[in-house]
Amino acid sequence: MSQPYQANPLSENFPLPRELRKLGRKELKITWQDGHLSVYGFRYLRTQCQCAFCVEEITGRKLLVDSCLPEVLEGMGVSVVGQYALRIDFSDGHNSGIYAYKHLRKACPCELCRPAK
Amino acid sequence: MIEVKTEQVLDALRKVQDPDLQRDIVSLGFVHDVRICEGNVAFEIKLTTPACPVKEKLEMEARELVLKIPGVEQVSIKMTAEVRSHQTLEKENLKKVRNIVAVGSGKGGVGKSTVTANLAVSLAMDGAKVGLLDADIYGPSIPTLMGMQGETTVRENLIQPKFAHGIKFMSMGFFAQGDQPLIWRGPMAHRAVEQSLVDVDWGELDYLLIDLPPGTGDVHLTLVQTVGLTGGVMVSTPQDVGLMISMKTLRMFEQTNVRILGLIENMSYHLCSHCNGREEIFGHGGAKLASERLGIPFLGEIPLETAIREKSDLGAPIVISLPNSPVAKTYRDIARKMAAQVSIAGYSGSKLEVIEEPV
Ligand SMILES: Nc1ncnc2c1ncn2[C@@H]1O[C@H](COP(=O)(O)OP(=O)(O)OP(=O)(O)O)[C@@H](O)[C@H]1O
Ligand SMILES: [Mg+2]
Ligand SMILES: [Zn+2]
Ligand SMILES: [Zn+2]
Repeated sequence: MSQPYQANPLSENFPLPRELRKLGRKELKITWQDGHLSVYGFRYLRTQCQCAFCVEEITGRKLLVDSCLPEVLEGMGVSVVGQYALRIDFSDGHNSGIYAYKHLRKACPCELCRPAK
Repeated sequence: MIEVKTEQVLDALRKVQDPDLQRDIVSLGFVHDVRICEGNVAFEIKLTTPACPVKEKLEMEARELVLKIPGVEQVSIKMTAEVRSHQTLEKENLKKVRNIVAVGSGKGGVGKSTVTANLAVSLAMDGAKVGLLDADIYGPSIPTLMGMQGETTVRENLIQPKFAHGIKFMSMGFFAQGDQPLIWRGPMAHRAVEQSLVDVDWGELDYLLIDLPPGTGDVHLTLVQTVGLTGGVMVSTPQDVGLMISMKTLRMFEQTNVRILGLIENMSYHLCSHCNGREEIFGHGGAKLASERLGIPFLGEIPLETAIREKSDLGAPIVISLPNSPVAKTYRDIARKMAAQVSIAGYSGSKLEVIEEPV
């Protein structure tokens, strides 16, 4: 093996992050292996939580009501989980969600990824 | 007569992609020993597991591409495998154990031991060297499943594992007194599990599968403190996959930094013994959905089938006692998918870190 290889554990051609940056408590910036850049506000990430409290496990139906979240919601800490996800500590005390890279990429709020908005 | 060059052969083979490792077989270092004699080209493709799910496909693609090179008349390919080690083990007699995979479940009775035994035997049937450790301190069942009870012997200070159906195995059930199984608690349990892993003469193994007790707990912690696990596999039934209890086991893997190699749904559907038709079970497919949402590989689903239990009770897992049955094929597919995930784990090395940037 000449160079380290980043296999994608999620197969299905989803890229993995190349770099993870936490900008204060406001934003998370992910540069993906394919070069794409995603910038997420922590409040937005909180609304994307997939944990069992926020999303019904079998159906995937969202249980969390975004408007019930505090106006100001910050990211206190971000840590890498295994080789495929992040865990985020939010200022509202919530931290049970696992943010799979695959989901994070799908949830990228940039204009290219969200042309409808 | 057109002369064929090694470089041409390699260039052609660079078009063959390993779908799991997402890279071509030349840069993965799979191609060895290219020999060209007039129009005859011979080479070896060395895969990362004998249980490769796409072995035939890779071989066929390689053959077709090389045959297209002008001047090539005949291609002979030798398919071999070498399982890479994923461990950094200091423990002397585990040094030759290349990958350790723990099999867990949220609750008891989901068929975890049956799945583990069948997967272990499947890998061995594909030519891998396989060990199986029954670390279920509450209800060891591997001796029954493998058709071999009784105490183990010790040679040169090492416990000698038993051998049946092509695999080596060891069980907490072997630490019994008479016909009474021992009941383990606290530090004693820790020591017993450690011993059943470290003090066993496993020899050289490609895969060591561990049948964990159901749920989360001390045994898992003992394991992660004792050895580097390649990853964990989770077995659930359609009834319990969505429950918190399954999520808890997944989280236990995550929190101890054990890579989740995949999810298996057991007793997923019913195969009618008369017509082989498939009757769905309520809630079936939940594991697949859950794995998609969580970004975890889905390894497959196993039907509810009386023959599975009957063969287990007779001491010979169905993959080897009814090797041509549809269920045996299902287990073997799952084993290959799992082996592919182990190979992927071996290739994704470098670790990401979160860079903090004050603003
Ligand atoms: N797919 C299947 N179809 C039919 N019976 C099955 C299937 N899988 C397992 N069984 C049977 O279900 C019972 C429980 O299986 P097993 O002992 O493997 O479960 P387990 O999860 O290891 O349980 P425990 O928590 O007791 O260790 C056994 O009788 C087994 O033969
Ligand atoms: Mg069991
Ligand atoms: Zn949540
Ligand atoms: Zn985007």
